Amino acid sequence: MTSFILGPLWTFSLLVFCLGVAWRIVAILALGFPRDPASPRGSGLAGGLAGLLRRSWPRNGVGRKNLLPVIAGYAFHLGLFALLFFAAPHVRFLDHYLPGPGWTPMPRWGFVIAAELAFAGLILLWLRRVMHPVTRLLSSLDDHLAAGLTFLAMFTGCLALYESFTGLRVLHVFAVELLLLYFPFSHLMHAFTLFMGRAATGARAARHGVGA
Amino acid sequence: MYWPDARNIGDSFAGLPRDVLSQMVLMPSRYHWLVAVFALLLLACWTPAAPAQQAASGGDTAAIARPPGHTSADFWRSLKEGATGVSSVRGVESGVAMNRHGQEWRQARNRLLAPWGAWLLGGVLLTLAGFYAFRGPVRLEGEDDGTTIPRFSINHRIAHWFTASLFLLLAVTGLVLLYGRGALEPLFGARGFAAIASGAKEAHNLFGPIFLFALVLLISGYARDNLPQRGDLGWLAAGGGLFGRHASAWRFNLGEKAWFWLVCVLGLGLSLSGLVLDFAVFGWDRTTLELAHFLHVAAALILVAVSFGHVYLGTVGVEGTLRGMLGGAVERRWAALHHDLWLRQTESPAAVDDDAKGND
Repeated sequence: MTSFILGPLWTFSLLVFCLGVAWRIVAILALGFPRDPASPRGSGLAGGLAGLLRRSWPRNGVGRKNLLPVIAGYAFHLGLFALLFFAAPHVRFLDHYLPGPGWTPMPRWGFVIAAELAFAGLILLWLRRVMHPVTRLLSSLDDHLAAGLTFLAMFTGCLALYESFTGLRVLHVFAVELLLLYFPFSHLMHAFTLFMGRAATGARAARHGVGA
Repeated sequence: MYWPDARNIGDSFAGLPRDVLSQMVLMPSRYHWLVAVFALLLLACWTPAAPAQQAASGGDTAAIARPPGHTSADFWRSLKEGATGVSSVRGVESGVAMNRHGQEWRQARNRLLAPWGAWLLGGVLLTLAGFYAFRGPVRLEGEDDGTTIPRFSINHRIAHWFTASLFLLLAVTGLVLLYGRGALEPLFGARGFAAIASGAKEAHNLFGPIFLFALVLLISGYARDNLPQRGDLGWLAAGGGLFGRHASAWRFNLGEKAWFWLVCVLGLGLSLSGLVLDFAVFGWDRTTLELAHFLHVAAALILVAVSFGHVYLGTVGVEGTLRGMLGGAVERRWAALHHDLWLRQTESPAAVDDDAKGND
């Protein structure tokens, strides 16, 4: 079982993840933009960048009323990003696979802070999802499954922190594989499409001469 | 497939530092006897530091200086009494060869805390089961007319469930660490339990500080309505409504208030002692760590035991209670039965204010 999880299943899930994500992105890009006969009133590039920045903070009146999803959202995503790319075991792992000189892992205290932020943010966001009547209605099984698999991957990673028990590490790898297999077919794709969507909206608004 | 951490260093060496393990693994087994001989020689040659060295290192020189006629018994006695020497290892108490304190703490943990804790937890569970069998759940009276009263806002419920989920995770991992060797090792074997314990420890250490943050959210959301109010003792005198008599209460009755403040005080104590244990790198001495551990376990056992009662009353013990914490609203008849003063306050705040002021 261990060799299957660390070998063929890992290769398969990585393949499904890469091909699935590429397929989804290409499919979106292939849709193209509708032809706009009007002459542009502003730069699409500048508008796209502005859209990326502007939509990273809630509009006045929305954020002030409920800061929890904003703060917890940033805590979770930034924490997870730091864990994924700067936790020492992940850096060693990526260093082996990716070309180039690699990069320095964050110190232990940085890891602890990132993990605390990520876990607290994820739990709070999910609780709000099920408690708030609107988000509860908007949420589908996909959202809960995505949150659950993300938590599972993070939690098993936390269990394997000591790095001395093969079983715990295999459990973590298995949880990550489940996440990779599910990723391209779920709302988790927002990790990639989020920036595309915001930039496209900002660019379109700028060409029309309106604020995004 | 390359896995950077796939070195098979043996789960049974889990407690040793990684560099030591690496050395052991890297050294061919034919040289292990050499290490053993070297270790024996070192042990035979080891003597407490000379007074000058002791003074330089700040150690207790008088206790271990060898007077003429010094016997082996004196030597070991002095070590047992905590005599210090010089060590190349830098750290708090690294010059102490033998620490009897550690054994005393271990015995206090294993022979006092653990068994008494087990009795406490088991006793509370049995009491609740007996109470349920004897009394059964507190049922709502009358028919549900569909009227609901808002009781907990979204933020209140999030704060509650955030704290509760962390508490559950910390309780389970903490109990694994305290009782796992006796309860889980026979089931999973020594290696299996070592892995479980390692996972439990890492999760416990990582989620602990988040619990402190959750406590702050909980306190900021609930403290105001948990302050003492007139009528609280009346609820107590009526047996909390569990034995037939009606017990009036505000938004939170005295039992809920007591639980809330217990969570605050013991929870903060747990968190602070947990932080001391979590961040031992700050140079706490052994006594501080032992004290922090003792308090941590004692407070945790009390909280877990009382939480059984809280969970019982919130779920199967009192009909309609869980609905308030899940959906935010309770049936009006539930509020009338268990929190009538709060209901009056909610429905006609002015009348309650007049009552409080003594007006007609």
